[in-house]
Amino acid sequence: MNIAAGVGQARELSILREKVLNDLDRLQIFLRQLFRNRLAFAGAVIILVFFAMSIFAPLIAGPYPTPVQGAATLDPPSNAHILGTDYQGRDIFTLLVYGGRISLLIGFSASAVAMVLGTLVGLIGGFYGRITDQVLARATDFFLVIPWLPFAIVLSLVMGPSLQTTIIAIAVVSWPTTARVIRSQVLTVKERLFIERARAVGAGTPYIIWRHVLPNVMPLVWAEAVLTISNAVFTEAFLSFFGLGPPPGAGAIVSWGTMVNQAYTSLALISNPPMWWYFLPPGLAITLVVLGFAMVGFGLEDVVNPRLRRR
Amino acid sequence: MNLRRFLLRKAAYVLLTVFFIAALNFFIFQILPGDPTRVLLPRGGTSQMGSETLRQELLHQWGLDQPLTTRFLIYLRNLFQGNFGTSITYRPGISAMDVIAPRLTTTLVLVGVATVLTMWMGVVLGRVSGWRRGRRTDVIITMTSLFGYSMPSFWVSLVLIFFLAVEVNVFPVHGETSLGYGTLDPVSQLLDRLYHLALPVLTFAITNVAWFSMTLRNSLTDVLPEDYMLTAAAKGLTEDQQLRRHALPNARLPVVTAAAIYFGWVVSGAIVIEVVFDFQGLGKLTWDATRALDFPLMSAIFFIATLGVVVANAISDILYMYLDPRVREA
Repeated sequence: MNIAAGVGQARELSILREKVLNDLDRLQIFLRQLFRNRLAFAGAVIILVFFAMSIFAPLIAGPYPTPVQGAATLDPPSNAHILGTDYQGRDIFTLLVYGGRISLLIGFSASAVAMVLGTLVGLIGGFYGRITDQVLARATDFFLVIPWLPFAIVLSLVMGPSLQTTIIAIAVVSWPTTARVIRSQVLTVKERLFIERARAVGAGTPYIIWRHVLPNVMPLVWAEAVLTISNAVFTEAFLSFFGLGPPPGAGAIVSWGTMVNQAYTSLALISNPPMWWYFLPPGLAITLVVLGFAMVGFGLEDVVNPRLRRR
Repeated sequence: MNLRRFLLRKAAYVLLTVFFIAALNFFIFQILPGDPTRVLLPRGGTSQMGSETLRQELLHQWGLDQPLTTRFLIYLRNLFQGNFGTSITYRPGISAMDVIAPRLTTTLVLVGVATVLTMWMGVVLGRVSGWRRGRRTDVIITMTSLFGYSMPSFWVSLVLIFFLAVEVNVFPVHGETSLGYGTLDPVSQLLDRLYHLALPVLTFAITNVAWFSMTLRNSLTDVLPEDYMLTAAAKGLTEDQQLRRHALPNARLPVVTAAAIYFGWVVSGAIVIEVVFDFQGLGKLTWDATRALDFPLMSAIFFIATLGVVVANAISDILYMYLDPRVREA
């Protein structure tokens, strides 16, 4: 009796061990592929740099600057301020270092909301098919044609500019792409044998979707998530440039898009000499973060979606 | 599929989408708190002579004393008659459509010229990139165009102005025409306009060329492994001949449809560029309407912007059908 239990336990353990090893193996292969993809690797480096910059902002640039009454405004670069000061006399370099926090915060939150929405719609539409799919696919198509900038502008106007509005506006225009990609993947997954087996054993539809379909589309969701972050950072920059991003209240962190806007409205371009140090750095930061996430996203897509893999 | 049935289905689909856009457009502005006439009346209207008459007129026209569903029907009827509402910041009582229409031409010219140039650049780059896929040339082209694609257009225009109009005074800082434009002969007028178009169009090209070059690159990648490409090479055709006669005709289609879709994003693309370069187009109008909180005007612009995308998508589908013999004859 004891021996039998021991054997059973040992077998269970060995199955578990195999499963874990299997998973590790797959993860290792996945990571190796990802890192062999130089595009994704370079992108990951860029992102990590900006992450570190945002997290360690106080160590790099000191406390967040507050507008100083009577301080020198719009100063050119000097030893004290390597990128000069802005229209409120704040150190531009410090603003730049902190600005990444807003971009990344909005990028991640908006992407998270869009992923939940898009994945749900894609899963349900793709798996249930028939009329459910028809309705959801039409809805997806409809949101897909909404021009992102005018929509985000209208939403910010109507709901009032705030962090939440910005995130919602970006999420609403971002989820349809994900829904489409996930749906088409679900269509192939649901024809696979293990789904039929699960059904034969008596598994219910929600259980099958959750336990069998979702894990199989998850890699694609990650790829989409990273690409969406890239788009979200980009959109936030436009909204902020329009003065419709999170309002730069007292002590609130100014985003890079807002910085370019403030440089623009401070006539940084046509002043004499032109204040390139004011508008060049924040725009470059936006570009690098957007590019970094896009590179990782394309790389991930390359790895998880063999159809797109390089020939 | 039968061509007529295809077109009919497409038309029905467009109509349905337009209906949903109208609904979204209507209900989104219902979120606005307070008295709706507040946003419909010209600013400071209450103190103006005859503003009460205008108010009554507007109340009646939009059925503001009626329940929501009735109001929605009235809104649809007005839309159908081409009445997009009344701008509150421009001359009192002027319809939003009258404000928009003259602006549309400026934007269409700007985006039209920009699209043609960007597409041409994209085809040139994408051709090289796709043919030399994975090699150094391809990596350089792909990375550069991707970098351009990641740059926000408002920033690119500022950078271009900084380098090409301020530091080196080659191009005008902003505006559509020079000061003495009226006194010029027609040829000089045209040249003057093109001269002012240079930087905005360049901004477009830099930020969007990847859209076309990547499309062509990817579709070339699909075409190159085909048997007929091997045959072309075996026949002893030069690389250029293989590319021109056999690869490109088959790979071009997605680029054409991409152009149609791209053109649909006219307003989104033009907003920032028109603002920075001070072009009096639809994009600048969007900016002004936003600044002035002109909700009816914003609503009208949003409707037209979305309509542009829907129509462009439909045209792209029809073009695809028309240009691809496999689809056409199937």
